[in-house]
Amino acid sequence: MELKVNGRNVSLDLPGHVTLLEALRNDLQLNGPKYGCGYAECGACTVLVDGQAARACVMPLSAVAGREVTTLEGLGTRAAPHPVQRAFIEMEGAQCGYCLNGMIMTVAALLMQEPQPDRDRIRRALRHNLCRCGTHQEILAAAERAVVLMAENAPEARG
Amino acid sequence: MTVPHLMIWRHGKTGREVLLTLDAAGDATGYNGHVDLGTGIRTALGQIVAEELDLPPARVRMVLGHTGATPDQGPTIASETIQFAAEPLRRAAAQARALLGQLAAARLSVAAEELRAQNGRFLAGSGAGLDYATLLENQQIDAELDPQAPVKAPADYRIVGRASPRVDIPAKAVGAWTYVHDVRVPGMLHGHVIRPPYAGRDSGDFIGRSLLEVDEGSVSGMPGFVAVVRKGDFLGVVAEREGQARAIAEALKVRWALPPELPDMQDIAGTLRAMPSTPRLLRDQGDLAAAKARAGVWRKRSYSWPWQMHGAIGPSCAVADWSDGRLRLWSGTQNPHVLQGDLAQLMGLDPQAVEIIRHEAAGCFGRNCTDDVCGDAALLSRAVGRPVRVQLTREQEHLWEPKGAAQLMDVEGGLSPEGDFDGYEFETRYPSNLAPNLALLLTGVIDPAPRPSDMGDRTAIPPYRIPNLRVVAHDMAPIVRASWFRGVSAMPNTFAHECFIDEMAEAAGEDPVAFRLRHIDDPRTAELIRRTAEEGGWEPHVGARLRHEGEIAYGQGFAYATYVHGKFPGVAAAQAAWLVEVGVNRRTGEVSLSKILVGQDSGLMINPDGVRHQIHGNVVQSISRTLGEQISFDAIAVADKDWGSYPLARFEDLPAIRTLLMERPEEPPLGVGESASVPSAAAIANAIFDATGVRMRSLPFTPEKVKAALAEAPMPAALPAPARPRRGGWRALLAGAGAALAGSLAMGVVAMPLRPEIPRTQPPAASSWSAETLERGRQVFALGDCAVCHTAEGGVPLAGGRPLETGFGTIHSTNLTPDPETGLGSWSYPAFARAMREGISRDGRHLYPAFPYTAFARITEPDMQALYAYIQSLDPVRSAPLPAERMTFPTNLRPGMALWNRIWHRAQEFTPDPTKSDEWNRGAYLVEGAGHCAACHSPRNFAGAEKAGDVHLSGAVIDGWYAPPLDGTGPAPLRWSEADFYDYLRGGSARHGAAAGPMAPVVAELRELPEADIRAMAHYLASLDRAPDRAEPEPAALAAEANAALETPTDAAGRLFDRACGACHITGPVSFATAARAPLVFSSAVHAPGPQSLVRAILAGVPAPGGGQQMPAFGPVMSDEAITEIAAYLRRTLAPGKPAWGNLAEAVQAARAAR
Repeated sequence: MELKVNGRNVSLDLPGHVTLLEALRNDLQLNGPKYGCGYAECGACTVLVDGQAARACVMPLSAVAGREVTTLEGLGTRAAPHPVQRAFIEMEGAQCGYCLNGMIMTVAALLMQEPQPDRDRIRRALRHNLCRCGTHQEILAAAERAVVLMAENAPEARG
Repeated sequence: MTVPHLMIWRHGKTGREVLLTLDAAGDATGYNGHVDLGTGIRTALGQIVAEELDLPPARVRMVLGHTGATPDQGPTIASETIQFAAEPLRRAAAQARALLGQLAAARLSVAAEELRAQNGRFLAGSGAGLDYATLLENQQIDAELDPQAPVKAPADYRIVGRASPRVDIPAKAVGAWTYVHDVRVPGMLHGHVIRPPYAGRDSGDFIGRSLLEVDEGSVSGMPGFVAVVRKGDFLGVVAEREGQARAIAEALKVRWALPPELPDMQDIAGTLRAMPSTPRLLRDQGDLAAAKARAGVWRKRSYSWPWQMHGAIGPSCAVADWSDGRLRLWSGTQNPHVLQGDLAQLMGLDPQAVEIIRHEAAGCFGRNCTDDVCGDAALLSRAVGRPVRVQLTREQEHLWEPKGAAQLMDVEGGLSPEGDFDGYEFETRYPSNLAPNLALLLTGVIDPAPRPSDMGDRTAIPPYRIPNLRVVAHDMAPIVRASWFRGVSAMPNTFAHECFIDEMAEAAGEDPVAFRLRHIDDPRTAELIRRTAEEGGWEPHVGARLRHEGEIAYGQGFAYATYVHGKFPGVAAAQAAWLVEVGVNRRTGEVSLSKILVGQDSGLMINPDGVRHQIHGNVVQSISRTLGEQISFDAIAVADKDWGSYPLARFEDLPAIRTLLMERPEEPPLGVGESASVPSAAAIANAIFDATGVRMRSLPFTPEKVKAALAEAPMPAALPAPARPRRGGWRALLAGAGAALAGSLAMGVVAMPLRPEIPRTQPPAASSWSAETLERGRQVFALGDCAVCHTAEGGVPLAGGRPLETGFGTIHSTNLTPDPETGLGSWSYPAFARAMREGISRDGRHLYPAFPYTAFARITEPDMQALYAYIQSLDPVRSAPLPAERMTFPTNLRPGMALWNRIWHRAQEFTPDPTKSDEWNRGAYLVEGAGHCAACHSPRNFAGAEKAGDVHLSGAVIDGWYAPPLDGTGPAPLRWSEADFYDYLRGGSARHGAAAGPMAPVVAELRELPEADIRAMAHYLASLDRAPDRAEPEPAALAAEANAALETPTDAAGRLFDRACGACHITGPVSFATAARAPLVFSSAVHAPGPQSLVRAILAGVPAPGGGQQMPAFGPVMSDEAITEIAAYLRRTLAPGKPAWGNLAEAVQAARAAR
């Protein structure tokens, strides 16, 4: 099974039924995506597949062969965080942080499709992302901050 | 770790406990036995150390909860960390600063008082300075804690009391933080536990004694298998990979005894009053009887609270490493030192032989399965002698976490003739304890007796001046596993106090806030209440104002509480007041919150941002608990297994939350982790009263409950729901068809002769066929789906044994491999061709038409030969004898099939239609021949034969699935165009959705066919459309309309669908690679005459073409009732013109039983 993960070509000798989440966490040792429910109900496992959001817990490896997967680690780093990650850090959009991966990845996917969403669009985008700590207000603020940071970042990215 | 240059320690329970160290660089490490549960305690503790040490916060590191390194400070509960556990740390930091000051004074030859510290340096008035690193050169200071070490005056604080960014979030935001779930140890295996059927129960003599039988042989051959581990009712498996461990656990054959039934868990009041309990008098003052006798108003009320889940988003996880009689454990525990003792007991070890390394886990707000899973991992690691990681599944976490207990508050009280709150009697029942470690119970190490505890008394004493007062806590054991959950018993107790005082204010003819203030003595409390009311725009009023606009009623509510925690009489944490504005939809019962102001007096706030975030979190979580959360139970156990069945508040439920933080820098810091939750439910109930005049006294305030309460109240009645049409016909029709067959085929059955046997021969060697022939045969083989029916579930490919349900009984497919004894290895080509074309086995017996020889007869001679060649080239596999067939008369007599053939079968090769194109003819050949589409998609007559003519390919129910019409008469709103057929057959999905059920393997097999053949099949199938010109709705508009309906559910079933299925079946602003391929409104399954396909898809999910599932099977987590609700909801929402499905509940049960 060949695929690209965070810009690297990887080859996995695994049966197609193994979930993308298990392969990312256990075989590629990536900690961003988290197991939360296994039924695509909570969002903790969200990654990007060819730039589109995906719930890795319900995606078999057979469906990602030859495709490009981006996890939280691939979005940005401590030294160079992605604007969405920066926004979540600045606005403290986490308490325990277990759902944080899903929040950041979903907002990142949203902003790629729609750079200027309003608060209602952000709420709707995060409709199926659960947070037990009740960090919702900070997460929404972080998402709105991310809109600003992405816009500021865009000219630099082009230059 | 390097040797510290300065260390402050104290004498603890088991020897020296280090509190603080400084290293060569002058950086500090603080040690605390409490842990960060996601509340930002790590940051706040670091601020305290940094403040007293005059170090930048970035140079302070905190080690929390590691048993080998941190002091034993008991469990991290009741918001005590800042209030109590931080104190020795603060003194240690102050002491260290003083010691450094003495060094600096000596080095600079000045008096210590002349020095000031700043950012890790001591500065003298002269401007000379020395940093901590320099001061600590060649030092080895080792000092016992001076508990009286002078600390700073709050007025001098520069770090404490100011917002400080959370130290953990930068790493968490980029995936660089190591949660316990992320711990990996070299050589680590994966464990998976199998829990008993008494999910969530922990007392009674069946605990630890219900496991009857485990068949290790049922899984020992599975990939990655390492071990099955059993002790009492503890059962687990270990495997090389995580997914393998789960698969093995699910396949393991286990027999359990069923536990006794639970009491009625719906009737919280009745059940709690009936359980054994011990009254404990907490307060008895004045003369209640006299107060009652003279009262102007006296009311008696009951308030109830449901069982609720902690609901951590991350299921619990631990890694255990057993070696040389020592246990090392990586854990997310809240109580490292308690857990150390539990595990020592479980393993028969000295506590010092158990080391717990604490990592953060998902926020749990009380005792969840975190400690239990440590016991699981420890037992499994010891059994296999290697490190083992265990993470529970979502289902296991839901079922087994010790719940937030239900609670019942029976209250009476009243007003004096002067209108003062004069008498109050309060009794509370809280069936909960500390939840003993599950592994101790399951293994029988501790006895499963009911264990009452005394935690029902939190905030049981009302905060108001009431002269005649009696307060009793009825201590009782849990009914299901229960333990502390944020706010513990204080939240329900306050719900009762604050709803009752609201009622008293109304009875007194006073404004609820003014009435409260009149009964508060403490000026600090009074100020909090007054300021919260002012800031929040409180509108003083008496009784319910019943303001409304259209169907929405509006109201304001207020409540106040001091969270009192710890052993009675307890200690006060921060106090909080809520002012909330609600809108109540009087038609649907939905309660929405528009504005919330929480005022809080936390004393000194270490990190005001942290306090604010804690308040926000408490608000969202307590709204969720108040409006939606209640655990369901079946007869024996907890029933909720996923987030569909147990709802959490979401972004759209979020009101505008404002906070009012009282500035009290001179007062000691108070715990802020829970306080803001405590007044929530009462404030919301009081606001609902102001809006509607209805007093809600039982949580949660779900739309259904509010609607019911409104219906009973003297308000405009809700509109009656339209009656749903009911039909019972579908199953009845099928039953009738069977009866007709029995009658007509009974004649002449035995008169028909058997056909001759064709002798066994040695087939030609595989090498005698050309590669081209074999390739052609492989394609015919794939088109015919041979492998699908001739492979048993989990069996050897093509070796047969798969049971096939027919209308007349169950038959089993045969071995297709060229094994001479049990397969086709001794079949000549004529024997093979006869079977394929006439349905007659080599030995002369007739085959049942479940084997689609009626279609295969159309295969051309070259293709048939190629197929034979291909089959003979396979590897032979010897198969076990097949079970005896159980067919109903008359088809149980195989000779009956001869007559059947005579009547219904024409064994003729396909003949092209010269008036049609080559492509059409190719498609027809493939579809009607080897492809045998009609076997499922044509209705069968009373005799089980495919109907021809007008109804050819007009749809049927087969094997519990609905095979929709292929002739354009299907029920789906969109036509099947040639492009749709192509997309579906080639890629597994079209505008109408993905191939599920029996079509999934068909599509998988079709991948072997060349492009031109798939195009030909699509071309032919599209040509069958009887009404190619009929109008069809504009797909985008239809999809958008359906999506809007699904996005705004107005009933419980719709909300259930949204939570459980919405991430993939409701389209939002983000497009998902894992979303359903097509909108459900296009799916034949919701438009079909029967619910079979929809129900089966929910139960079994949808397989992915290349292996695994593209939609998970929801059968394991959804109850029959939930599936029934969802199916009915989708039918009425997405197929509004079509009749509701009759007997849906029975169809769901039947489909589950068939699995």
